[in-house]
Amino acid sequence: MKSKKLKILSLFLLSFVLLFSGCNYGGGSSSTTSSGEGSEETTNGPRKGGKVTIPIVADPTFNPWHPIAYAESNVINRVIFSGLTQPGKDLLPAPDLAKDWSTSEDGLEWTFILRDDVKWHDGEKFTAEDVAFTFNEVALNKELGANNSSYFQKLKEVQVVDDYTVKFILESPVAALPAYLSFNTEIIPKHIFEGQDPWELTSFNKQKPVGTGSFKIKSYTSGQSVVLERNDDYYGEKAYLDEVEYKVLADANTHVAQLLSGELSIFALDDLAAIDRIKNAEGVEVVARDTTRFFWIILNQQLEQFQDVKVRQAVLHAIDRQNIIDTVLKGYGTIADTGIAPALKEYYTDDVKRYEYDPEQAKKLLAEAGLKDTNGDGLLDKDGKKFTIDFKIGIQGDIEAVSQMVQQYLKAVGLDVKLNTMEWNAMIQDVVVKRNYEMSLNWWRYPSDPDLSAYMHSANVKGNNIPAYQNSELDKLLDAGAQESDVEKRKEIYLEAQKMMAEQLPYIFLWYPQEAQVRVEKLKGVPDLAFGDALHYINEWYIEE
Amino acid sequence: MLRFMINRAGQSAILLLIVTLITFFLVNLAPGGPSSTMRMEATEEERQAIVEKLGLDQPVHIRYVEWLKNGLHGDFGTSFTSSEPVIQRIMERLPYTIELTIFTIVISVILGIFFGVISAVKRGKVGDHVINFVSVIGLSVPAFWLGLMLILLFSITFKWLPSSGVGPRGEDFELWGWISHLIMPVLILTTTVLPHIVRFTRSSMLEVTSQNYIRTARAKGAKESVVLYVHALRNALIPIITIIGMLIPRLLSGAVITEAIFGWTGIGTLIIEAARGRDYPLVMGITVMITLVVVFCNLIVDFLYSRVDPRVKNV
Repeated sequence: MKSKKLKILSLFLLSFVLLFSGCNYGGGSSSTTSSGEGSEETTNGPRKGGKVTIPIVADPTFNPWHPIAYAESNVINRVIFSGLTQPGKDLLPAPDLAKDWSTSEDGLEWTFILRDDVKWHDGEKFTAEDVAFTFNEVALNKELGANNSSYFQKLKEVQVVDDYTVKFILESPVAALPAYLSFNTEIIPKHIFEGQDPWELTSFNKQKPVGTGSFKIKSYTSGQSVVLERNDDYYGEKAYLDEVEYKVLADANTHVAQLLSGELSIFALDDLAAIDRIKNAEGVEVVARDTTRFFWIILNQQLEQFQDVKVRQAVLHAIDRQNIIDTVLKGYGTIADTGIAPALKEYYTDDVKRYEYDPEQAKKLLAEAGLKDTNGDGLLDKDGKKFTIDFKIGIQGDIEAVSQMVQQYLKAVGLDVKLNTMEWNAMIQDVVVKRNYEMSLNWWRYPSDPDLSAYMHSANVKGNNIPAYQNSELDKLLDAGAQESDVEKRKEIYLEAQKMMAEQLPYIFLWYPQEAQVRVEKLKGVPDLAFGDALHYINEWYIEE
Repeated sequence: MLRFMINRAGQSAILLLIVTLITFFLVNLAPGGPSSTMRMEATEEERQAIVEKLGLDQPVHIRYVEWLKNGLHGDFGTSFTSSEPVIQRIMERLPYTIELTIFTIVISVILGIFFGVISAVKRGKVGDHVINFVSVIGLSVPAFWLGLMLILLFSITFKWLPSSGVGPRGEDFELWGWISHLIMPVLILTTTVLPHIVRFTRSSMLEVTSQNYIRTARAKGAKESVVLYVHALRNALIPIITIIGMLIPRLLSGAVITEAIFGWTGIGTLIIEAARGRDYPLVMGITVMITLVVVFCNLIVDFLYSRVDPRVKNV
């Protein structure tokens, strides 16, 4: 009797084990039965209702200026709040809270005409006072160290002209101002923040934010989810969706799993390893989107041995970038010549010096820079001493995989590169804060404007100019471009600047990554923009049944 | 008994002090800093402003003394990553971890003792081998892998169970929603806890059943089930209680991997957040909580010893 029970039990356990060993991660059939009976329904246009679910990796902070508001907060804040401008569908700044704007002859004053039909989610009227408060009291308050305040270094103050007109007073012209005002610099309500420490007001920042956007907060549970509901008093086109849910899911594998199981609707895929599985799945689509990002390698320009431009050029010749794009990035990227990405169609050019994969040329350039293999160990030496490069990187996305390939390519031309992989936070402290590095690899994302002064102007050596590159000619061009608001003239300047960037390589430009935007097929109305920009148009999204 | 309690309290206080001292210096001296000061885009000026606002411009030892003073008054500060009080953040998450722990322990203890006894009784027979084999698998298969496999099977292929989250709570609470979210995480945790209990029960039972009084019991004609469950198991329980006493704090301090995979918002996910963001006050708060749990569980185990085995008094 007892042994019979045991047999059944062991059979059960055995089948359980077999069940698991039988399913092969990635190789198994990923097809699932779709719920609809009629497989191909005709499009009947947008309709109200439904909800989308978006993953975020950590608890958000509902205040775009808060120093602890990172990417997971940005994707919510740009839906709850509105900025003066927003990225247009052509990526040029488009109206949002501001209907119109103009700059004075000398470029030192920008006047923004605001909408007069905007209400905060609590019913209060939005006015010029809110704009002035946001900038004067928060962004420009040096003690607060607000996010993105570095965009406004040239801003002296914001003046209220009347209820619906504000003036931005600048120290020197900033042509990119309307673009900066569309990038994580949303307006917060004066009537709630006045007299409060904007970082300590957790009843707003962590519980019940009050914005002006097309969705307002419905509920928030720490570690789980944020649910937004349609704002029926929204000043623009009211949203179709009833709700937007952001699920807090730290693990990237879970994002993929939940997309495939239909629990998530849309996000930008970071780890491209899963891309094929998603492409083969039913009811899910992947689209490639240009972004304003560029990947780079930097050689510390404060160190004498890296100051020769030939060394930087040689590094670029030594790396087969197309191969890395094809393998690690699964094709989601294009070779970069400068920092200005093809997403900025108005300004982008590839008519500059290009660096083909050419190890022989790399060796030649290195030899010209005085690097020779004097002891016959296959590695280059300088002045009789070993020439090694300390290559520090942080673990994030595909940086590690890419860096390992770079290390091999550089070894092949005789450069002894020691790869030092660090935890992200520790890498920032070493490379960015202390500038204690020789070589590093990373990427920048910037507002939709070609002004890259922050990253390569000599005035920003203590800021985001991490390679500490200094070149007065490039500075002049960057200054001219930053101050010129006439688009045609600006184009000329940036064509010139790009030629110089490609020639001088303040950064060793690698590629412009494309975003692999993954989403369920029944989600429609998402404009052809990168995920982050498309969120500005979430009121146009709808679910097709 | 009173002297025993005072002794234990004193020991615990010293332990707590040492643990917090080590942790405080470790986290503060580890490379990197609070993530708000370690944003790649932040300028030197912005970083400096935030460092001052967080009070990190003071030397570490002064900050420790300050932290200790406030801690003794029950104030564990505000979390760097959310600006909310540390205690509030822990209390928000703790119930979820307790929930997982209770289900896991109850299921594991019942099944573990049951299979352990069977394994001991059927020593060397098929049943014993099967149970041993499955136990070894449970111990050696990594939780993250098994977790992903379960998600692949039950969430993606069959679409039976939700792949993550804790399910609707509060007003929207619904029984199946709750249970369906619990199944996979509890299953994973059980596979890591259960084998320990099974194996300890087995060896403990084997030791006890070979003793003379068991032979006596059998000789006097007691039923086999009485011999096993009344005479043997009671005495075999002591080591089992010890292992359970060790497993509970481990689960309560958050099954980090399991919670992360299933988006279970307990202490485990909070630990990841705190460590990743170099949230010093939160790391310290969690450390104190876990230390207290360990101390408390040990105390309970000692107390239970004396109840199960009257010979063990006033250890």
